[in-house]
Amino acid sequence: MTLSYLLRRIGYGLLLMLGVVILNFFLIRLAPGDPAVVIAGEMGGATEEMLESIREEYGLNKPIFTQLWIYVSGIATGNLGESFFFNQPVSKLIGLRIWPTILLVITAQILSISIGVFMGVIAARKPNGILSGIVSIFATIGYAVPVFWTGIMLIILFASVIPIFPVEGMQSVKLRDAGFVVKTLDIAHHLVLPAFTLAIIYLAQYARLSRASMLEVLGSDYIRTARAKGASEVSVLFKHALRNAALPILTVAGLQFGNLISGALLVETVFNWPGMGRLAFDSILRRDYPTILGVLFFASAMVVVANIITDISYRWADPRLRRKS
Amino acid sequence: MSPLLEINDLAVTFATRHGEVTALDSVSLHVNEGETLGIVGESGCGKSITALSVMGLIPQPHGRIRAGSIKLAGEEFVGATPARLRQMRGAEAAMIFQEPMTSLNPVFTVGDQIAEAITLHQNTSRDRAFKDAIALLDRVGIPEPDKRARDYPHQLSGGMRQRMMIAMAVSCRPKLLIADEPTTALDVTVQAQIFDLLNEIQRDFGAAILLITHDMGAIAEMADRVSVMYAGRVIETATADQVLDTPQHPYARGLIDCIPALGKSETGLKEIPGVVPPLHMLGAGCAFAQRCDHAQARCLREKPKLINHGHHPAACHGVEEARL
Repeated sequence: MTLSYLLRRIGYGLLLMLGVVILNFFLIRLAPGDPAVVIAGEMGGATEEMLESIREEYGLNKPIFTQLWIYVSGIATGNLGESFFFNQPVSKLIGLRIWPTILLVITAQILSISIGVFMGVIAARKPNGILSGIVSIFATIGYAVPVFWTGIMLIILFASVIPIFPVEGMQSVKLRDAGFVVKTLDIAHHLVLPAFTLAIIYLAQYARLSRASMLEVLGSDYIRTARAKGASEVSVLFKHALRNAALPILTVAGLQFGNLISGALLVETVFNWPGMGRLAFDSILRRDYPTILGVLFFASAMVVVANIITDISYRWADPRLRRKS
Repeated sequence: MSPLLEINDLAVTFATRHGEVTALDSVSLHVNEGETLGIVGESGCGKSITALSVMGLIPQPHGRIRAGSIKLAGEEFVGATPARLRQMRGAEAAMIFQEPMTSLNPVFTVGDQIAEAITLHQNTSRDRAFKDAIALLDRVGIPEPDKRARDYPHQLSGGMRQRMMIAMAVSCRPKLLIADEPTTALDVTVQAQIFDLLNEIQRDFGAAILLITHDMGAIAEMADRVSVMYAGRVIETATADQVLDTPQHPYARGLIDCIPALGKSETGLKEIPGVVPPLHMLGAGCAFAQRCDHAQARCLREKPKLINHGHHPAACHGVEEARL
């Protein structure tokens, strides 16, 4: 892994994000509705004078390219603007909510990859076996069911039938002042249902994908060589085969990360998880341009980071992709 | 002296869409300690399946050993537990495969792959095993072995990879080395080097070699004895000189006639007309009868047995009746 490669990747990532910011900026302004009207509505009345002063205050009456310039140069100095609705800096709003989202998304990603790949590997061992059939059926169901429905079903199950997991929020009110360990466990406890809800769709995809990928690898000559050395079945599957079957899984994991973030928006709404998803939802309803753009900015930053990590893992998984030094 | 490897009446079948197909039919052969037995035959004659049977590596779940016995150093391995087979593989019998390009795991270094074979069977540390791996790479003639050990297979040439396979196979000093067409995928010049290396290794390590090939030249160079296979059966077996000089079975004679030689080129390349019949279409008679110039009614009716008819064992009614 060369440093120059990493720097180049980060450079591309920054360029990509600039493109995303500019595109988002225009897309949002293409949507019908005048934020000044919405803000004025919140305040109770709407004379033309008032609308004009609101536009003046938020810079909405400036030419659009000037607005873009102000916005982009603001980002360069870490200023994402002021929320129309919350009357707070967007960076502060997001700073409060980004960590719950990152926690949720990464937990879901880890759950879906580890469980999904494990299921796929087990299914590939006996492609015509019962276990393989169960995995395929589960994968199809998991793929077909919408995430909010899974969430609602889990809420019904765990709110009334077997109430062992909290179905709402991230922390128990009465444990707010507890010690670090208790608080961490409390958050983990609250995390179970939203993380699983979000993980299920992707888990199903990873199971199918790794089953197919493993089946291909298990037929290859070097697997026979590993067996001929006397390697155990576990070693053949999880060491010799999985490392080779990992490439398509990594590709999809990188691509799915963006979907995972948009899935998190729904899951956060269903489970009242205090993350960016709900902030996005609220700010879209209120035409809160700076907040929407800020959320999108951070979401795209997460996707760019995830793609860089994917690229690095590629090179770890397949030495053929490493440049000769 | 009892043989190191003794295969008796081995039958292997595969479940296919044509029903159950017999890939090996009462195959018997033996390899003595320290000698080289060559198995010769066309593609699909059962050479590789014989080798894989010995290793307990018949492709699952379709293939299975129907009958017979495989004894290695007197121990029966047909029906052995998977744990015992794993213990044996690599340690008591090791295999070198045909395609060094695809038979090595692309994501692990050469040294790690050899070291793994060592740590699987010997109670040793990984570092120690890696050092042993470097010594083995040196032994098989790989230059700069400590550097190459940290390379990945794709960084080595085909010949180097096959040397590495050999190093891996001999890493636990097995008594039996199975080489399944070890040079087929290599350049002719490299082929000779690999045969030389195998001969050296055999001398130094005292291993017996089961050499599977379709190359009569390789037999002449390497083998002490030869078994010729056709359509899942052994049809002739004798010392290499006997088979090369006085082949009995018409198929063996055909094979030897096919060897191109300098000075004979005016007649052009010879071939045996026809193809090996598909295994699911074998009838009651001799599998070679359709392609044989000397076939008679009995050949289509009755499978010949591998019996010594004076010279050395051959499975042919014609030889038995001294027509040939």
